[in-house]
Amino acid sequence: MLQVDRIAKDFGNVHAVRNVSFSIPRGSTFGLLGPNGAGKTTTMRMILGILTPDAGTISWSGERIDGKSRRRFGYLPEERGLYGKMKVREQIAYFARLHRLREPKLGPAVRGWMERLGLTEYADRPCAELSKGNQQKVQVACACVHEPEFLILDEPFSGLDPVNADTLLAVFNDMKRAGTTLVLSSHQMWQLESLCDRFCIIAGGVNRVEGSLAELRAAWPTRVLRVTPRSDRLAHILDALPNTQPVPGAQGTLEYVVRADTDYASILRSLVQADAVTGFEAVEPSLHEIYLHAIGEGAAA
Amino acid sequence: MTDFVTVYVAELTRRIKSRPFVIGLVIGAIGIFAFIQLPSLLGGAFSGNKQAIVVGDSALTTPAVPLLKGDFTIAATLAPTTVDIALLKAHHASSAVVLSRVGDRLHVAIYARDPGSVPRGEVRADLLPLQVQLAMHGSKSAVTSLLAIPVAIHPIDSKFSSSSQAQAVRGIAYTLIFFLYMLILLNSQLVMSAVAEEKTSRIAELLVASVDPIALLTGKIFAAATLALLQMAVWVGVGLVASVGAAGDAGASSIALGGLFSGNLLSAWVLSTFVVFFICGFLQLSTLFAGVASLVNRTEDLGSLSAPLVLPVVGAFFLAISALGDPDAPWVVAASFVPIFSPFVMFARIAVSNVPAWQVAISLALNVAALIGIGILGGKLYRVGMLLYGRAPKFSQIWSVIRS
Repeated sequence: MLQVDRIAKDFGNVHAVRNVSFSIPRGSTFGLLGPNGAGKTTTMRMILGILTPDAGTISWSGERIDGKSRRRFGYLPEERGLYGKMKVREQIAYFARLHRLREPKLGPAVRGWMERLGLTEYADRPCAELSKGNQQKVQVACACVHEPEFLILDEPFSGLDPVNADTLLAVFNDMKRAGTTLVLSSHQMWQLESLCDRFCIIAGGVNRVEGSLAELRAAWPTRVLRVTPRSDRLAHILDALPNTQPVPGAQGTLEYVVRADTDYASILRSLVQADAVTGFEAVEPSLHEIYLHAIGEGAAA
Repeated sequence: MTDFVTVYVAELTRRIKSRPFVIGLVIGAIGIFAFIQLPSLLGGAFSGNKQAIVVGDSALTTPAVPLLKGDFTIAATLAPTTVDIALLKAHHASSAVVLSRVGDRLHVAIYARDPGSVPRGEVRADLLPLQVQLAMHGSKSAVTSLLAIPVAIHPIDSKFSSSSQAQAVRGIAYTLIFFLYMLILLNSQLVMSAVAEEKTSRIAELLVASVDPIALLTGKIFAAATLALLQMAVWVGVGLVASVGAAGDAGASSIALGGLFSGNLLSAWVLSTFVVFFICGFLQLSTLFAGVASLVNRTEDLGSLSAPLVLPVVGAFFLAISALGDPDAPWVVAASFVPIFSPFVMFARIAVSNVPAWQVAISLALNVAALIGIGILGGKLYRVGMLLYGRAPKFSQIWSVIRS
């Protein structure tokens, strides 16, 4: 398990991270979310030991992170970079060596990752000659070639076309199944929602919420009640309910924001008695809504 | 250590295959070969000992020829005749020295294809015994012994037995200091470019997440140092081959140039201090350059940021050159203990004077101490600078990093 305990980091007068804590069980996939400048990258750099926290501790499997444990980590930073003149094969092999991978394992590992990411045909080409998407895949191969037990991916899907994004998503799902602990940061919420078991939303250098999607939804104070069809009689009943707020909904539906602990069965009975109801759904908040709400709180704070 | 070795091997392999290194190596080798072979290639055009014919009565030419041999290679001695270009070409000569007698005086006329190269003063001095002999009607040997004033030179605390040897060694030391300057500056700037490339290409973060930044920095610097030593070895090897060839082909003039490489004028001690001071100077400067390069966001900014580091090196080079003329001047001795300056100045002193061993030892110890300090300073700058993007850091920020 990765344990991040009340870490803080200042850069001069700027408080980049303040009192951030979370834990990531081994083998799980963790989404680290937040707006630009929230402190995500600084947090990731502290986990990797690139930066030293001013306060707090970070441990992996109960031990402080050092050079030895870091070699079992993988990292795909947000800012991409490669040696432009170096060939794809050499580049991946170099990063494998930096993580202490040696022959006879090195060659098959490099070939395996090139095949997995569709890079074999570019193996002997300088990286600078590759398209942006293929360069990004080379970087993913560099981060993963040593089969890390803990992998941090900062915006892994940015700048990728849908086909390449799907390729990477499949790779990360494979790694997840193989037991790799993954930490992802992305602004593409739907990809995180499908991939991650747990989330932490950081804003203004502090973590706003943390938990599984179910836990985050359970803590959400409201739901959207969606009723079909859109009729005056049904609207009349919903308008009369306490603590409801109509919101614009899809065509042919009525949508109201209601408290999460609303007695849905009682409302449904009232609606059925008033008119024919073909659809009744208490819509749970999406990760996107939870995120916007959390960073809104951060902004208010 | 394993990280260092991995980075070192990778950097060495990458740079040794790089086009700029190969081109620089080849062009340097060709340049050295050409420099040494030039006199023989140009058929002695730059030699002070030129082909000449001596024209005149045998009563004059016979005693004159031995006197002129110091300044000319005498191709032929001819009876009085008209001198023209055909005559010079016929004897492969570049000049003709025509001797005649007017009363008791010797008259000399020199016909030369390049009048500017005629050593008029030396010819006058060479033929003075003949002039006196004619005027006094005395025997040649009596006049020569009369004119010869013995002047003995006794070296005191000098490495050299003669002024010509001292002059030759100064020339060679000058060349070596120039090599030192070029090798240190060029290879340090290569390290700087490599760091800036990693910073601006944004691969730095991936690297420092994989390996300790100090191992990354030292691996890079030691790989560059190895390449510089390899470059030096190749150039010295080419120089040796060229000087051996030149000695066989072109005689004394080429051997003098080849002396730089054949080691007959510089001792193993001087050459080994050259290597040691090169390593000290290179490691100091390249570490500082790497630290500075880690602060830039655009390679265009490298020039302005590196200028404050280049200037002391240029100053050290000129100090070392003037140290060749006066190696024991107080300011030269003082500069030979100051790191950054001492690799150049102390080497200059060692090359041309007898520097006490304790002074060399103190200078080296100060260099090693400075190297440790610069290593800590450069390492701090590098560790922080590699992750700094956006606006260029202010001096106050850099200072706070250094103090932290």
